[in-house]
Amino acid sequence: MDHLFLAWKNLWRNRRRTIITLAAIAFSIMLVQAAHNLSYGVYAGMVDSGVRAGSGHIAVYRQNYLESRDETLHFPDRNLITEITAIAGVEEVLPRLYIPALAQSSRESRGVMVIGVDPQRERRINPFLKELNKNSMVRATDSRDAVIGVRLLDELQIKPGQKFVVTAQHQDGKLHSELLRVRGVIKSGMKDIDGSLIMIGRERAGLLTGSSGSVHELAIILTNSDDKETVLGQVSTLIEAHPGIEAVNWERAMPNLANAIKLDYASQKFIFLIILLIVTIGVINTLLMSVMERMREFGVILALGSKPMTLRIMIMTEALMLGLLAAAIGTLLGSLATWYLVSTGIDLAAFVPETLEFGGVVFDPIMRASWDPAWMVKIAGYVTGLTLLASLYPAIKAGRITPVEGMRHH
Amino acid sequence: MSLIELKNVSKIYRLGNQEIPALTNVSLTFDEGEFAVLAGPSGSGKTTALNLIGCLDRPTSGEVIVSNLTLGTASSKQLADFRLHHIGFIFQSYNLIPVLTAAENAEFTLMLQKVPKLKRRKIVCQLFADLGIDGLEDRRPADLSGGQQQRVAIARAMAANPHVILADEPTANLDSHTAEELLALMRQLNQEKGTTFIFSSHDDRVISQAQRVIRLEDGRLADDSKESQ
Repeated sequence: MDHLFLAWKNLWRNRRRTIITLAAIAFSIMLVQAAHNLSYGVYAGMVDSGVRAGSGHIAVYRQNYLESRDETLHFPDRNLITEITAIAGVEEVLPRLYIPALAQSSRESRGVMVIGVDPQRERRINPFLKELNKNSMVRATDSRDAVIGVRLLDELQIKPGQKFVVTAQHQDGKLHSELLRVRGVIKSGMKDIDGSLIMIGRERAGLLTGSSGSVHELAIILTNSDDKETVLGQVSTLIEAHPGIEAVNWERAMPNLANAIKLDYASQKFIFLIILLIVTIGVINTLLMSVMERMREFGVILALGSKPMTLRIMIMTEALMLGLLAAAIGTLLGSLATWYLVSTGIDLAAFVPETLEFGGVVFDPIMRASWDPAWMVKIAGYVTGLTLLASLYPAIKAGRITPVEGMRHH
Repeated sequence: MSLIELKNVSKIYRLGNQEIPALTNVSLTFDEGEFAVLAGPSGSGKTTALNLIGCLDRPTSGEVIVSNLTLGTASSKQLADFRLHHIGFIFQSYNLIPVLTAAENAEFTLMLQKVPKLKRRKIVCQLFADLGIDGLEDRRPADLSGGQQQRVAIARAMAANPHVILADEPTANLDSHTAEELLALMRQLNQEKGTTFIFSSHDDRVISQAQRVIRLEDGRLADDSKESQ
């Protein structure tokens, strides 16, 4: 208690210097916490959008489908959708068939990707279908309704309500065609989606390839993405009864998005590291100055009977207090900054194109943060640890002087 | 048996390749309750001798024994512990810790001894009253006069009730009136509590107050006179 008291008094010996150092550490904590929370929010938004339009938080495939995208690797879903939906934390299970095909209108033809879906389930989840009203959506799994990308609509030179034909290879090796009618138009902002996507009912899609009752993918959407690994374990256990089927997380199912986030965050971490390094050098400088100024006093303290270790502990306690105080202030400021970034965000609409893609998803020009309290505590702890580490050299230096040497200092 | 014994003690400081002898073959003994002064001009070896007696430094040759502790063989930790419990220091420029109040400064050695706060405050309040500085407990050193600061330093030296108090030119920064007052106070404490006082000085007025005068010249013992009480 006495050491704490003494360290606290020493900390405020040079009030201005302590405040400047405290401000520098606290500001860096705030900066790193707010920047991380902003990235966390942006990444979470991208992942959410990506998993809802793509593989889901967890996806179930036939083995090797993910690597080969071979359309013959489908599997019957039997009761899997019902069983997986019953797992706690699962919001929805989206069955999908992916069929490369040729779309033909009376004027043009284009290579397309036909996705056979359960329209009711898909509409609730898929962000591409968000803006479609009920009358623009595929009505039933076996209907001839189609929702197609806006660019594809232009290229085929057709309009909503008009008919077109898709042709794909049936599993018997022959070509099979289906007549479809444009019911709705998707405007995702992504070139590939808008230029090649056709979404139809899964039963109609099954007729194209002769794979009725089968799916290529079961995209599992979770209520809370943090439950991903737990649910993945449960799904994996469940599908053990279905040999040749595997469950994977979204990072494996959508490596482009996962890698883009990893790369972006790695560059941020590098910047965080530089910020923390600069702060650490500043703290070492402050503590060293504080120690060098007090050499005579340390000599007196040693002369009075203090042990070198007591001096070292005192200096390290000062650093620990500085670190803890800065961590508390920095976290408070970081929380305020995060609160602003969560509620208001940063609008980059004036600086980035509306359809900017990042890792295969559309980048939302309004960047919003998300709270990551565990990480905020971790970074505050790291900085406190760094401050303590920064005090090691000054503490060792102070502990090495003899009383006589110390008292000769002026 | 003497309280302090210096046997053929020499101390040589090294400055680069140069060797500077600070003390040469000095032999001295001090008994309990003495009020002695190490006198001599600047550079005569007074501070070096006090540093050796105070276990702050080790001799280059010879033996220093303080309360049965031989400096040459004791570890730094043992010496620190010994200083904490047996020796009090009073410095020329007071050397109070500026961030602590007068009472906290006086309590410092008791704090190092882990004496409970209430008990040490009681000891210090009594000492402040004895030294005539009661009421100044909560003042910072910067708010005290030189004489008051030196009284706080005496309280700090006395607080742990040491066997020996060493004072290096304790009155050098004080005016003659305050210096005389402080000397009288130290003498009084020496007589009332039996604490051994050894101080260094080159001021004749101070030296004349001492019971025993040890004169050093160029690091050698020039004279050791003891007046009858």
